[in-house]
Amino acid sequence: MDFEPNENQTAILDGLEQLISSQAIEAPKDGVLVAFSEALDAELALGGFLDIAREEEFTLLDAALVVERLARLPVSAEVAFSALVAPLFAADTVQRPFALVSGNALAPARFLTVARTLIVDKGDELLMIEVDPARVEPVESLFAYPYGRLTSLDGLNMQTFGADMAAAVRRRWRLALAVEGVGLMQSAIDTVVDHVTNRYQFNRPLGSFQAVQHRLAIAAGKQQSARWLALRAAWSDSESDCAIAAAYLQDCIPAMVYDLHQFSGAMGLTLEFPLHFWTYRLKAMLGELGGGSAQARAAALATWPDAA
Amino acid sequence: MSETALEQFRADARAWLHANIPAHAAPLEGPDSRAFVLDWQRRMYEGGWAGLTWPSEFGGRSLTVAQQIVWFEEYARAHAPSTHNASFVGLNHAGPTIIACGTDEQKAFHLPRILSGQVIWCQGFSEPGSGSDLASLRCKGRIEGDEIVIEGQKIWSSYADIADYQELLIRTDPDSSRHKGLTWLICPMDLPGITVRPIKTMAGPAKFCEVFYDQVRVRIDEAVVGGVGEGWKTAMATLSFERGTASLALQIGLVEKIERLAADCTDPVLAPRLADLRADAAALKAMSYSFALASESGTPGSEGSMIRLYFAELAKRASDLAVDLYGIGAEELAGDHGWSYEYLEAFSETIAGGTAEIQRNIIGERVLGLPRGKA
Repeated sequence: MDFEPNENQTAILDGLEQLISSQAIEAPKDGVLVAFSEALDAELALGGFLDIAREEEFTLLDAALVVERLARLPVSAEVAFSALVAPLFAADTVQRPFALVSGNALAPARFLTVARTLIVDKGDELLMIEVDPARVEPVESLFAYPYGRLTSLDGLNMQTFGADMAAAVRRRWRLALAVEGVGLMQSAIDTVVDHVTNRYQFNRPLGSFQAVQHRLAIAAGKQQSARWLALRAAWSDSESDCAIAAAYLQDCIPAMVYDLHQFSGAMGLTLEFPLHFWTYRLKAMLGELGGGSAQARAAALATWPDAA
Repeated sequence: MSETALEQFRADARAWLHANIPAHAAPLEGPDSRAFVLDWQRRMYEGGWAGLTWPSEFGGRSLTVAQQIVWFEEYARAHAPSTHNASFVGLNHAGPTIIACGTDEQKAFHLPRILSGQVIWCQGFSEPGSGSDLASLRCKGRIEGDEIVIEGQKIWSSYADIADYQELLIRTDPDSSRHKGLTWLICPMDLPGITVRPIKTMAGPAKFCEVFYDQVRVRIDEAVVGGVGEGWKTAMATLSFERGTASLALQIGLVEKIERLAADCTDPVLAPRLADLRADAAALKAMSYSFALASESGTPGSEGSMIRLYFAELAKRASDLAVDLYGIGAEELAGDHGWSYEYLEAFSETIAGGTAEIQRNIIGERVLGLPRGKA
């Protein structure tokens, strides 16, 4: 058992830190709800960070570490789908950025306003649609990701895949949620720990009150648990591990988001405080793929197929 | 009041609301919000539906709490404008505080103006360094003859940018600390030396404000409520209303909204959560009604903190479920009064008027009688 990054992973993460530093990324301060960085998105693609899982010398776990690190930034880029889901398809057959939806191809999807490919999970089959930007309308959203939806499918190029590919995409989508989610949780917790350390009430830091300490300790424990489950899922790429990791993450989100905003007080209700750049993205993940209970069912079916 | 008379009262309320509900949704901020709120309040006043339990000598109707409950039930049923608007502080904090602690002159001047939709009030309690720890506040007032000169800053003052008056808590004894030496003031917002800066909230509107006071002068006899140096006692009366019956309309409104969610829910995965919400809504209704009826003859007690907390956490869970139920892009989530707004606004419910942690301290110490912790 080895829980430390190997040489390859250290090299990748060092390179990623350099790219992040070169971008001088800061939380937007002008009261915006959605913080998507086109420049970061383009640089990541150019630097090859989103193709790691396609390279022979690297692994899906290496790609997952990239996704986790980037999720800790206050701005988003289309990272998790490109890095973890897209490698299921031959490189020259798909174009990023990607958006994914379940069921209805016309439903609102994260990143669709910037996507070139929409993947639609219809359960027993999968559609891959070439996105025409003229057919995309932005959707008002409070979830810090750009959201859009297609106005119609008429005349759009699309490919259909079978049930096996649909299942594989769902598996990787669960992995993508789990890995990105733990990065978001980490930065959200860091932000609030900093706040309660420096904010004094009753002549002492807020973080010295046990009511605050205990719940932040629970949040930290949940995040750590979610992280190891997500990394294990990236290592094994198994149906049950990916579903368990996503289920655990989604189940943690409501209580954690509640507490993190609660401990930020009135400041956390404003757009002048950056917490929402992580917590709103977590909230967006809460309902994807049918929510935590759907992932738990998927995990049960993967573990005990006869139970179906 | 007999059941028959109460049902007639309900029928009258329903008919009036049916005929008078505003055709347009309430704007959430700025001058449009002010105009809307004052117009709606004026219409309710002229129709005889404002200040139902306020004394009749000050423009109220001296009716019973049971009638007030019936009015709020019909109000929620009719989807009337939310009571959580720019009139909230005047009707639920300042007004009741002036009734309980004000002079006859203050009652005669301010109460009819609040009820008849002539003025907006805001609250000036919190400061950048004094939120949960309200008693540490530093905004000061220097007594000069028959005037108090105010110097300092307040924050989280909702609707201060459109308000006529502020209920303002300041330190008037420079040698005092904590709860002593404070004074509760009526501060006209158009006085020289007052600057207001709106702050954009995550729910969208810039209704929170910072307020700065630079040598602002008020007359002691007109402004002070409850006595110079007695501000903590007066403020506790204000907060007892906030934690007591002020949210009754909102609580009843929440119960109604949860029933609407139940009617729209066809998702078996969400059904158990909705069942929990309905059970909690029924419990909230029972608690809030019994507490309101018991408070009829005086200032509400500390048990109000239990209901305030229960309501706040239920409001969060309800809006959380609504977002999951309808999904991103749904019509039910969109717009100034959609569930997206409710979801974001609900974050403030466990913070404003005393955080959930402060409410739990109150429940522990004053309701259960547990030993006080070291501050």
